[in-house]
Amino acid sequence: MPNRLYRSFQALLLLALFLFLMSKIFNNQLLWYINQRFVVLTQIGIVFLAILAQRLFTEVRLARERQKVEAHDHDHNHDHAPSPVNLWIMLIPLLIGILIPAKPLDSSAVSAKGLTTSSALISSDSTSRLFETESEQRNILDWVKLFYFEKDLNPFIGQQASVVGFVYRDESLPQGQFFVSRFILSCCAADGYAVGMIVDTPQADTFEKDTWIKVTGSVDAVSFDGKPSPLIHAETIEIVPQPDQPYLYP
Amino acid sequence: MTATTASRRASRTVIWFILLFVLIIVLASIVPWSLFLNLVSRLNLFATVFLGIFIEALPYLLFGTLISGLVEVFLDRELMARFISKRPVPAAITGALMGLVFPVCECGVIPLTRRLFHKGLPLPAGIAFLLAAPVFNPIVIFSTSAAFGWGPMLMWRVGLSLFIAIVVGLVFAVEQDPSNVLRPMLMSVHDHEHTHNETLSFGDKLQQALLICADEFFEMGRYLIIGAMLAAGLQTFIPQTSLLAIGSGQILSVLVMIALAVILSICSTVDAFVALSFVGTFSFGSILSFLVFGPMVDIKSTLMYLQVFHRKPVAYLILIPFLMSLLAGIAFNYFAP
Repeated sequence: MPNRLYRSFQALLLLALFLFLMSKIFNNQLLWYINQRFVVLTQIGIVFLAILAQRLFTEVRLARERQKVEAHDHDHNHDHAPSPVNLWIMLIPLLIGILIPAKPLDSSAVSAKGLTTSSALISSDSTSRLFETESEQRNILDWVKLFYFEKDLNPFIGQQASVVGFVYRDESLPQGQFFVSRFILSCCAADGYAVGMIVDTPQADTFEKDTWIKVTGSVDAVSFDGKPSPLIHAETIEIVPQPDQPYLYP
Repeated sequence: MTATTASRRASRTVIWFILLFVLIIVLASIVPWSLFLNLVSRLNLFATVFLGIFIEALPYLLFGTLISGLVEVFLDRELMARFISKRPVPAAITGALMGLVFPVCECGVIPLTRRLFHKGLPLPAGIAFLLAAPVFNPIVIFSTSAAFGWGPMLMWRVGLSLFIAIVVGLVFAVEQDPSNVLRPMLMSVHDHEHTHNETLSFGDKLQQALLICADEFFEMGRYLIIGAMLAAGLQTFIPQTSLLAIGSGQILSVLVMIALAVILSICSTVDAFVALSFVGTFSFGSILSFLVFGPMVDIKSTLMYLQVFHRKPVAYLILIPFLMSLLAGIAFNYFAP
């Protein structure tokens, strides 16, 4: 492949990557892939992609001018562009991003990545904060952490909880129960895994899996998988839109 | 490459695409609908995980290639020769500590190391840098301490990584001729401008660094992409739960955590937070080996190594850290559970 053509394709690919990632920022989908803390870094990266693309476009233009000035036979000296395979492969993330409909991690990912009802997730010294928060302000992750770290769960039983998550059905749960679940991301979707609270409600069958719901009710402790796990005796369950930020961060 | 082989290759590609298309259609008509839906949701999971790894690693790779470009145009060979000894032991130690100067993670360190080799960095120093820098740099030390506190986990992680890096660096000191280890660097277009590098202005040099950065981004990016695809594929089809289920026992638990480090392929700047989620389930030793081995070897970095080194050195780069972190993890499991 002639060198100038290679450069043009490079520039176009970088530009396409830039536009693709910009679109992810504008439709708020960047948070479906990475932890919030990387957003700024990614934005810097995206700007840099644009700078590189611009640099390559300039190079193409300069090369064209150079070619006009120089005799044509001089050309073969410059003509050893790297393998075009590089370009094809850079097309892959664009194709995957555009052709496969974007979706955050959901029920089908739980079966691959696992769900836990009690886990460490963060150094224990930060749980003291959780005592101070109103029980209704705690999210699913907070409850899961409390149930992991606290030896005595009695103070929490009967507290009012109000959490948002998606419906996940697990076959090991009895009739009339399902999980309200969230994915936890430390880094990116690769390390995501689900935490959940059991929801106990007579109308358990009416909710489709992956529906986003807000569950309100009193908390109870049950044993799931041999570990003490939080359960909500649901008083109200309302369907809510998927939050802008579908994951929780440890 | 002549025109005929090129066109033959192109027509072969077209045939492959048609075959693939036919295969998809046939499969879609045979396979029951529910399995098909399952496959679609798997595909969604694959895409999300793949883009997750790719987007997260992208700025780090760009940063690494940018530094590499800057090193190429601004760093003198003489300057480097003055700072880094030719004798193996001091070279390996300086190399291992160089992460403090170049804060890069495992995606960025590979193009940078290659560039430094190109500038005449001795083998032991470069190898030690390659293995130690993803852990021994301010960003990673800070994130590890944020996850585990300034405690034994951080100390052992840093200490063990430096130790392994220096040992592997010294192993490579046996080889006198770097060309037996390093694959020749692809001479791309910018190299013909080398000769009058000295006369270039600062702005021109910067422009040239950007061009090198772009080339290297494409060259290394392809391994990041293939590696991320492999990792996402493995995660989609091997449930993590089944891996964790076999993860008990003094030796097996270490092996499972090492396997997980390879499959997850996450950046060393954040792997400490991921490791934290295994604290309840896994022992100190297994998590330590996850934190030590993960930054040195995973799917995407292995592919990038193959671009820089010959096959045999890559085998050493993987096997020695593997055995050492495995032994360390097992030792902790037995003696300090």
